[in-house]
Amino acid sequence: MSAPKKRNFQIEAFKHRVVVDPKYAEKTWKILEHAIHEIYNHNASGLSFEELYRNAYNMVLHKYGEKLYAGLVMTMTSHLKEIAKSIEAAQGALFLEELNRKWTEHNKALQMIRDILMYMDRTFIPSAHKTPVHELGLNLWRDNIIHSSKIQTRLQDTLLELVQRERTGEVINRGLMRNIIKMLMDLCGSVYQENFEKPFLEVSADFYRRESQQFIECCDCGDYLKKAEKRLNEEIERVSQYMDVKSEGKITNVVEKELIESHMHRLVHMDNSGLVNMLVDDKYDDLGRMYSLFCRVPDGLPLIRDVMTSHIREIGKQLVTDPEKLKDPVDFVQRLLDEKDKHDKIISLAFNNDKTFQNALNSSFEYFINLNPRSPEFISLFVDDKLRKGLKGVSEEDVELVLDKVMMLFRYLQEKDVFEKYYKQHLAKRLLSGKTVSDDAERSLIVKLKTECGYQFTSKLEGMFTDMKTSQDTMQGFYAAMGADIADGPTLTVQVLTTGSWPTQSSSTCNLPPEILGVCEKFRTYYLGTHTGRRLSWQTNMGTADLKATFGKGQKHELNVSTYQMCILMLFNNADGLSYREIEQATEIPAADLKRCLQSLACVRGKNVLRKEPMSKDIAEDDAFFFNDNFQSKFYKVKIGTVVAQKESEPEKQETRQRVEEDRKPQIEAAIVRIMKARRVLDHNNIVAEVTKQLQSRFLPNPVVIKKRIESLIEREFLERDKVDRKLYRYLA
Amino acid sequence: NKLGRGNRDKVQQLMTITGARPVIGILKERLMYSTTSPMLQHPYADMILADGISLLCNDIQVDPQDIVMLAISWHMKAATMCEFSKQEFVGGLQALGIDSLEKFRERIPFIRSELKDEHKFQEIYNFAFDWAKEKGQKSLALDTAIGMWQLLFAEKEWPLVEHWCQFLQARHNKAISRDTWSQLLEFARTVDPALTNYDAEGAWPYLIDEFVEYLLENGIQKGQLSDWTH
Repeated sequence: MSAPKKRNFQIEAFKHRVVVDPKYAEKTWKILEHAIHEIYNHNASGLSFEELYRNAYNMVLHKYGEKLYAGLVMTMTSHLKEIAKSIEAAQGALFLEELNRKWTEHNKALQMIRDILMYMDRTFIPSAHKTPVHELGLNLWRDNIIHSSKIQTRLQDTLLELVQRERTGEVINRGLMRNIIKMLMDLCGSVYQENFEKPFLEVSADFYRRESQQFIECCDCGDYLKKAEKRLNEEIERVSQYMDVKSEGKITNVVEKELIESHMHRLVHMDNSGLVNMLVDDKYDDLGRMYSLFCRVPDGLPLIRDVMTSHIREIGKQLVTDPEKLKDPVDFVQRLLDEKDKHDKIISLAFNNDKTFQNALNSSFEYFINLNPRSPEFISLFVDDKLRKGLKGVSEEDVELVLDKVMMLFRYLQEKDVFEKYYKQHLAKRLLSGKTVSDDAERSLIVKLKTECGYQFTSKLEGMFTDMKTSQDTMQGFYAAMGADIADGPTLTVQVLTTGSWPTQSSSTCNLPPEILGVCEKFRTYYLGTHTGRRLSWQTNMGTADLKATFGKGQKHELNVSTYQMCILMLFNNADGLSYREIEQATEIPAADLKRCLQSLACVRGKNVLRKEPMSKDIAEDDAFFFNDNFQSKFYKVKIGTVVAQKESEPEKQETRQRVEEDRKPQIEAAIVRIMKARRVLDHNNIVAEVTKQLQSRFLPNPVVIKKRIESLIEREFLERDKVDRKLYRYLA
Repeated sequence: NKLGRGNRDKVQQLMTITGARPVIGILKERLMYSTTSPMLQHPYADMILADGISLLCNDIQVDPQDIVMLAISWHMKAATMCEFSKQEFVGGLQALGIDSLEKFRERIPFIRSELKDEHKFQEIYNFAFDWAKEKGQKSLALDTAIGMWQLLFAEKEWPLVEHWCQFLQARHNKAISRDTWSQLLEFARTVDPALTNYDAEGAWPYLIDEFVEYLLENGIQKGQLSDWTH
């Protein structure tokens, strides 16, 4: 077998020479030129697509692409020049219509031409880096029509005039506008921006500048904002109808700047209708509108926030310094809560629950509540009132709501330790008089305080509750053990108070009447029998007594009195009349208290179980007192005791304030020592800052007091000044 | 006056025993005799008290109120004013290189000049606090402090010294702490009497802050020191 010989096959090139007749190109071009003319003259129907395509194809194939292209340009250009003339000639409203029509036609023509010249479009044009047919057509349109001197300005003016007319309320042909503007958008080279958008924005700015000036002169704030909002919405709608969507942001910026930003301050501060008025009158709609408009401009919201803040601080300041409003602490606190609720509602309904506004509200409240040094006392009195009677019959959830509101006010207080002192006093009175509406409510509040301030704040308060409970048990035990012995004597109820937990009261002298001394002693013996090593002292300034009294005409009444008053009245079992001095001697009650008691027993209508001679209002040391046989009251039970928590008198207030200041000194010193122990060496300003930071949850320490405490610690050799830098202190181990 | 009735008697006794001034006697003892002289066993031979000091002053021709006595006490590291212990006295004289009364007298101008030295003045000033206060007290009684200040600030001029003393008597009326004492010199040295460079944040003792307030209240404007007398 032999391998077949390889045989080369050759394919010979086509040997038939194609003759390219130079005149051939010209002839072909003429055909195409003619076709373009026909197309522009709306005579395209007579043309054969296939033939034209082939001609174009051949021209390109035979390397006459350049000629074809140049010819295209020339032809199209001359047609466009004609078209320009016809557009220029159009009168008035027809101008745009003519332009639009011609544009539509041009596009159709362009499409056809492009189809015919597709081969050139795909081959010659890319390789020669020429503009493709379609784009070329658009550019020629742009250069010959849009940028024609007679058309360019007229077009711009016409468009802007239409916008202006629409703004004044006329209805315009939006479809036409849309087409024209779309035309501008389709053309390359920022035609839309340069020929329409930029002038449009300038003219709009002028328009709104003028309009805003008009509005501001004649409208009140609320109306102005409504108008501004309306204009803004209109512009947004206009853009969506016939402009490039990218213009929306730009025109809204213009409107915002001219209508809102330029007049922001004037609007907010407008007399009788500005922000403050809206706040006072709860105009939620107007406020909401203002918020949503102002949030579009820089510094808009800060402006609202600042004005709101100063307004709240101002009304708050007035509230806490107006002596009228401070007469009734409970009412005062209620007003604070009302103001807070009012503004919370505004922020939630109109200001979108904006956190920065919430913070501004909180800081304002913190500012003015602390302007009045009695705020802690008043808030405690408010709570006292609620827990005493205000929350009677209120559902559990509502109780929680009230207590949470109280806690909110508490958080604003800088001097939380002052509140603690008063709260303790008032709680003590509530517990001892048995006048608390709900034990659960009391405990709930204590828990809240503990969560807020920690265990130390409430441990003593809890101790008070424990004492009350323990006392109940003790009484049960006492009566179980002694029941028989004391059955025919006065009924004694004792609350045993652990000294550290209850507010410090100076114990004063008071001689208990013999009628009860017996049972008191029995209790003392019983108690100390089970609790050796303890000391008991009767707090005569805190007790109450119920006395059954029979008067001259046989009328019987039950008198509910304080212990002091009991001691005084019991004296009258053995004498019809006694002088002030005799009473003083017998009871040994301190003078100020004694006078107060006698006043409540003798000088108050409806409660004057004693008669005083002379009948003056004040108690003098020469006065004489008699049992009032003619006493009358329509109630069987007459309450004369005075153990209710009240606003403190001036001297009492001073005393409490002093005690608070004294309590603060060791706390400050402890903080200084803690800090210096850790840091070893620290300068004065930093110590002050650190101490303030450490104590701020309880009170705001006074820098002068801190300085004095530092000096005291230097004296006691806990600290020393640095030898070189006198502002530096060193911890002495 | 430190010398109580009893002490005075004892010194009298001493004087009659030795028949000489006890100070000079002791001085001579130190300088010329051995330290085991029988006289030195007497309890009060170990202390020079007020009377002895005034005799000493006489001998060295210096007024007992003269501030140079303070400087001398400083050299002697005396613990309390108006008395020198044996150790303090001897040690001080040795440190000063004094071995005769004449030398003592000659040294006085030098010691006086030391008060002009900024650094030494400060030491002497701070020394004065412990020296002038009562033994066992932490603070310096106000009257004594005022007396000392007047003395010291006559030496080193401070225009506000009178105002300071008046302020204390009007507003303070309590003893002076060591810190306040030492800081006052700083204040006098660094703060201009018209208070132009007073820094409220300067960690001055609060008494000095109050003093500045007092001055401002009473018409010493910052920048201008009006001369008010009373």
